[in-house]
Amino acid sequence: MTQQVLAKQVQEVFARFSDGVVEDQRVGYQGYIVAPEHLLDFARALRDECGYDYLTTVTGVDYLADGKMEVVYHAFKTLGGPALEFKVQTNRQNPIVPSLALIYPSAELQEREIWDLFGIRFEGHPDLRRILLWEGFYGHPLRKDWKEPYFEEVAKPFKSRFPDGKVYRAEDKHPLKDNIDFPEGFDPAKWEAEGDAALYKALTNIPGADEPGIKTEQIILNFGPQHPSTHGVFRMAVLLDGETIVNLKHVLGYLHRNHEKIGERNTYIQNMPFTDRLDYITSMSNNFGYAVAVEKLMGIQPPERAEYLRVMMAEFTRVISHLMSIGFLLNDLGAFFTPMMYALEEREMILDVFEAVSGSRMMCNYFRFGGVAHDVPDYIFDKIKGLVFERLPRRVDEIDAYLTKNEIIRARCEGVGVLTPEQAIALGVSGPLLRGSGVPYDIRRAEPYSIYDRLDFDVVFTEHGDVYDRYLVRLEEIRQSIRILQQVVKQMPEGPIQIGKSTYQVKVPPGEAYGRVEAPKGELGFYLVSDGKPNPYRYHVRSPSFVNLGALAPMSIGSKVADAVVNLGSIDIVLGEVDR
Amino acid sequence: MLNEYYPLVVISMIAIALGFFVVLLGSILGPRRPTQHKGQPYESGMIPYGPGTRRISVRYYLVAVLFILFDIEVVFFLPWAVAFRKLGVSGFILMVIFAVILEIAFVYAWKKGALEWE
Amino acid sequence: MNATLVIEWVVKSLVIILVLTGGFAYTTLYERKVLARMQVRRGPNRAGPLGILQPVADGIKLIFKEELTPHNADKFIFTVAPVITVVPALVITAVVPWGREISLFGRTFTLYLSNVNVAVLYILSVTSISVYGITLAGWSSNNKYATLGGVRATAQMISYELALGCAYIGPILIVGSMSLVDIVEAQAGVWFIFLQPVAFLVYFLASLAEVNRAPFDMPEAEQELTAGYHTEYSGMKFALFFMAEYIKMIAVAMIGVSLFLGGYLGPGIDRFPILGPVYLFIKVAVWLFVIIWVRATLPRIRYDRLMALGWKVMFPLALLSVMITALVLLFVES
Repeated sequence: MTQQVLAKQVQEVFARFSDGVVEDQRVGYQGYIVAPEHLLDFARALRDECGYDYLTTVTGVDYLADGKMEVVYHAFKTLGGPALEFKVQTNRQNPIVPSLALIYPSAELQEREIWDLFGIRFEGHPDLRRILLWEGFYGHPLRKDWKEPYFEEVAKPFKSRFPDGKVYRAEDKHPLKDNIDFPEGFDPAKWEAEGDAALYKALTNIPGADEPGIKTEQIILNFGPQHPSTHGVFRMAVLLDGETIVNLKHVLGYLHRNHEKIGERNTYIQNMPFTDRLDYITSMSNNFGYAVAVEKLMGIQPPERAEYLRVMMAEFTRVISHLMSIGFLLNDLGAFFTPMMYALEEREMILDVFEAVSGSRMMCNYFRFGGVAHDVPDYIFDKIKGLVFERLPRRVDEIDAYLTKNEIIRARCEGVGVLTPEQAIALGVSGPLLRGSGVPYDIRRAEPYSIYDRLDFDVVFTEHGDVYDRYLVRLEEIRQSIRILQQVVKQMPEGPIQIGKSTYQVKVPPGEAYGRVEAPKGELGFYLVSDGKPNPYRYHVRSPSFVNLGALAPMSIGSKVADAVVNLGSIDIVLGEVDR
Repeated sequence: MLNEYYPLVVISMIAIALGFFVVLLGSILGPRRPTQHKGQPYESGMIPYGPGTRRISVRYYLVAVLFILFDIEVVFFLPWAVAFRKLGVSGFILMVIFAVILEIAFVYAWKKGALEWE
Repeated sequence: MNATLVIEWVVKSLVIILVLTGGFAYTTLYERKVLARMQVRRGPNRAGPLGILQPVADGIKLIFKEELTPHNADKFIFTVAPVITVVPALVITAVVPWGREISLFGRTFTLYLSNVNVAVLYILSVTSISVYGITLAGWSSNNKYATLGGVRATAQMISYELALGCAYIGPILIVGSMSLVDIVEAQAGVWFIFLQPVAFLVYFLASLAEVNRAPFDMPEAEQELTAGYHTEYSGMKFALFFMAEYIKMIAVAMIGVSLFLGGYLGPGIDRFPILGPVYLFIKVAVWLFVIIWVRATLPRIRYDRLMALGWKVMFPLALLSVMITALVLLFVES
């Protein structure tokens, strides 16, 4: 099936909705605006007839001046190609939009996020609860008229805190002063989260529970937030029958800091170091994603050498992330830290490289719009050569030899946490999780960015979709990354590393852009809306871990408790990115 | 004869004394400032839902019953093993008969799925 | 029975208990050091030279730590459970000989506390008691993880006790005695590991499961059940569980060495009987090293497979080994 035929089908679908679907006419905007009453039919037609089966991003924008709220969808074809963007607009007073959760299950979590942060109600959503904030939180913080405690100004840079030589703090003005006073009659020790009751109700609400038959006693057990194997402050509430999981709900937001609100307050360049903190293991990839999105908006291209440096850092990051992921997976399987220590040893070597180029081992802040911050010093280039040509390939083979054929690992991983390709696409998962399920979808190939279209590498995928396959995909992707690194090191051109001079302010024309890269954990996308000011009007992070978590419950229901932990490990989440 | 057993009584008494002494030591020397929140059972930092001690899954009882059955078998084996040389061929044959009867039970339990952990 | 005899028993008992508790302390250090070296790191090296004071520091910390008892816990059982767990661990090695007779102060001492003729039966029965401690600890904590960990531990331990029991029978058949002194002495020619390889293997694996060590450390499966049955324990009560685990580790190593690796026997033992404890110590250290090595290497087996392995593989295998041993013995004798 060629592109043209599909495009024709798309046109036919559009024609059918004549008035309901119109092109977005605003300057700098793409995509289509769909009338809310047509949304469900349109989405179904898009999925079933046009091949846009992979909805990755759903987000909201609050256009305060127009009195409108908008929900923005980005759908892709799993065969590759650019996004089809469509939007739904609703009023601000009583925003209601039909839910796509039943057509695209990947929308379920993201719609909950929009409800949480924007207060847009999704009709027909199966489980519309707050997700990042707690039940009982007042207001919806990403609305433009919502102001937090200690609110100072709408956008940075703020006015001086020392206007006349004396420090001035916003908290001094606040009615609750330093925020440790509580309202009259409120006892924090007795406070109980209202959310738990709703959560447990949602947890025990399973279809078929009322059927007659012998019932065994079921218990509700919390894993996390303070639990050794949840990879941070993440919580799974599970309904157990013996040791078998009947239902599972995950609870997020313990690390929530409203990255997006802060990002909308920062200037564009101030957000660059801020993206480091998303997935703190792969800061270089986060920089990459943000740089790609902003450059799309600005319409600039970095010079050749900068592209090579970017790809080099991104692939090193992938090696780190996958090595650590394998190490932690083994930890979740109960191996006592040895594989992880071996992985960390290699990570340190790569972090030396990062330190040499950016001055920091973890929070690199290395990318700039239209280039990178620093060039690679010569002495470290020799080390890079040693790493990519000798040490890393040898170590990957070693890990392969130690782990891949291990009897216990195979017994515990094969056939565990199976995700079928259909499920994987529907849930919108990305990265090794998607490719492990047999969908060869890699953004580096599906919608190439930077210089990936010129590099030689394979998209790794396996067919069974279990934990073991995800492990294999990660292992093989490390090899492919090393292959890319070898090419990059060999072909590295000379030249400038940045266009123009480095500046503190960038001029971004009004408009919107969705830039995405293949981060180690999956599709990392940044949706930006600019109104021409120095700060982004809307700054949304589509983090791979957050969406991939949607696959946890389908994978784990019906399996043992021990397997749920392994499933979580195989999804490979980083809470900094999940909770944002 | 019994002389060999007295030392076991001695060491048991010393061990029990040591055990209680250690518990006592901890409770005397350690601080004790209980609060409402400290006393809550640990459930990953959440307030537990429902009681902590529940009815235990029936599978565990099945294991316990099977254990009693076959542990007795093992215990019967021990004196037989000691006296094996004296009993000779007849002892062996009798033991085989005994074992086979139990193994039939074992195979039965296996086939019935008593050993499955699903 | 006279006064000197009683004093001898008391002194020997104290020595055994002190060696075991000291051994426990230094096994933790040994384990941490070995694990660290296997994991490309150094391990504890701050408290004293090479970190040899680390166990002391740990002990002091645990003594001065606050002990918590959860609400609604059964306070009496909660307190007694660690004692029930640790006592069997301490007394189990009373029947293991450390060497032959030596002469000291003009008296002949036997290097064992007791040479009961049912030593193996004693070991089997005493190990069973410590299961109670773990079950009760899990049950009395009023905690879901602990309850689940407690019953898991119980089911696992009793399942592997069968295989363990069968593994003892092989050496007993060959020697015709349940006394460990007789069993060790019978290995003067050839160690039973060579005559009973299957029983040895079954013993090694089942003993790992019996003392809840990797890859069978299910009851304490950190990744699922946080700390299993001792989740709610802190301070010295926790230390007792920890102590029980490590002393049991030493105990199964001592018993295993005596059953299969010639116990205290070694070159020159006839001339210098004092070498007995030294040989025993070395063999136990090697055994412990292997246990630690396994922990550093292997992931954990899932619970259902663990039970299946115990019931469907180990137990029949051990039983088969017993029958074959008996058959071979019959042929050799006649």
